[in-house]
Amino acid sequence: MDTPTLRELARPVRAADPPDELLVEAARAGDRSSWTALYRRFAGLVHGVLLAHAPRREVEDLAQDVFLRAFSYLGGLRDASAFGAWIATLARNRARDFHRSARPTVPLPDHLPADDAGDEEAVRVLALVRTLPEAYRETLVLRLVEGMTGPEIAEVTGLSPGSVRVNLHRGTRLLREKLGVEKTDA
Amino acid sequence: MRDDYLWDKSGEPDPDVERLERTLGRLRAEREPSFDAAPAVVAMPAARRRRPAMWIAGWAAAAVLVIIVGAGVRRWLSPAATGPAWSVARLEGRAPAVDRLHAGQWLETGGGDRARVSVSTVGEMELEPGTRIRLLRTAPGEQRFSLAYGTVHAVIWAPPGLFRVDTPSATATDLGCTYTLTVDRSGAGLLRVTSGWVAFAHGGRESFVPAGAQCHTHAGAGPGTPFYEDAPPGLRQAVEAFDEDPTRRGTALATIAAEARVRDAPTLWHLIGRTSGAERAGMVDALAERVPAPSAAVREGALAGDRAALDRWWNELGLGDADWWRMWESRVPPRDRVP
Repeated sequence: MDTPTLRELARPVRAADPPDELLVEAARAGDRSSWTALYRRFAGLVHGVLLAHAPRREVEDLAQDVFLRAFSYLGGLRDASAFGAWIATLARNRARDFHRSARPTVPLPDHLPADDAGDEEAVRVLALVRTLPEAYRETLVLRLVEGMTGPEIAEVTGLSPGSVRVNLHRGTRLLREKLGVEKTDA
Repeated sequence: MRDDYLWDKSGEPDPDVERLERTLGRLRAEREPSFDAAPAVVAMPAARRRRPAMWIAGWAAAAVLVIIVGAGVRRWLSPAATGPAWSVARLEGRAPAVDRLHAGQWLETGGGDRARVSVSTVGEMELEPGTRIRLLRTAPGEQRFSLAYGTVHAVIWAPPGLFRVDTPSATATDLGCTYTLTVDRSGAGLLRVTSGWVAFAHGGRESFVPAGAQCHTHAGAGPGTPFYEDAPPGLRQAVEAFDEDPTRRGTALATIAAEARVRDAPTLWHLIGRTSGAERAGMVDALAERVPAPSAAVREGALAGDRAALDRWWNELGLGDADWWRMWESRVPPRDRVP
């Protein structure tokens, strides 16, 4: 089978959003615009997963590292349509590696120093999110920090929409309890 | 229930969820290019007219480098920035002699040792056993190593054109890629590109090596002719014969012209610039059979060895516009430019 030319693969990413597997195949062939599109599509997922597990100040560097590894190991991804679940796993593993290899020093607490009062509040709430069970933690970060909808979270993570909806519902309820917020709906 | 808003942002907004969105949204990842860094990086040669496709290539390149490198690139492109030292880590065998590599320092792996050097905003290189490298320069806009001998596997994250590896016989300039570079103690080398592009150049001779291709280099002769690793064996042997044995040039070129596939057009394109007279005419004919010249003028220009004409023909090969490389070449210090 003929390999598509880079020109064929390098057409600008359309608003119609090509499926992940096409972007992965094109990126494997060296097409930069497809890699850019993958980065753009999954930057929030990687950032969110890392934010759920690793110190906030490390997340930018760790995210770059995750994409670096993804770029490097892309050839080994068997199911191109599972790119989201795969890179989320890379992000979780990278966060675990970070904690394993962290030198025995006293870590800077995330809530010190914040850039302004708004950031301080954000970091305080994030710290509470991190005390939730892992499944709720990641889903809530993706919804509330990264701004994804439930269907989008299901799409990029490979989780079923039902699981995401349950995680959002239960996670938000637990978070409200921790924040001492009474649910105001009827 | 107002879970619809929590689920897909439809329905009546839940005030608590909205408040959480506002608070936590401050920590959101940056997903869009921050183009304030782009002009410094993608400045085009002023005299060039750019076709729409070139705009696309330019902005795609800008988006890649700005998105991937992100805030880090802004830091090292700022005038006050200083280049980072490279972290050194053991992969196998003995621990490296240093854990940070600064400009001017050498790093050598023993017979059973493997090591990795990395900078988060640039990329990383893995050193195979028996490799000796030196960090020549680490500065805003330039990361440069010298590979004396051995093998390195590079995965480069930095903007194209900013990461280079000198070997005794050619300089590999990253154009956003992963590749393996091997140099033996005679100075001869082999470049194999896994993804993206590498420009391999020395003394006015340049080779563009795309993903899936490889290129030999020889001490005193510079980079050889690139060819795809899946090329017919006869073509591969003929390319090596052309590069290494002047007495077999004629036979080698005839074999290449006969065996080249459409996919091997880049090999033919390179050979036009490395031949003259009847040999060049033969390569022009061979390339035209696989990928017709866009115009008679381009064909005539190629026969005369005109670079602009060759660049226009290159644009027909389906491998991206030559302007893309020229754009990055414009950022290379003059001493390293191909005239």
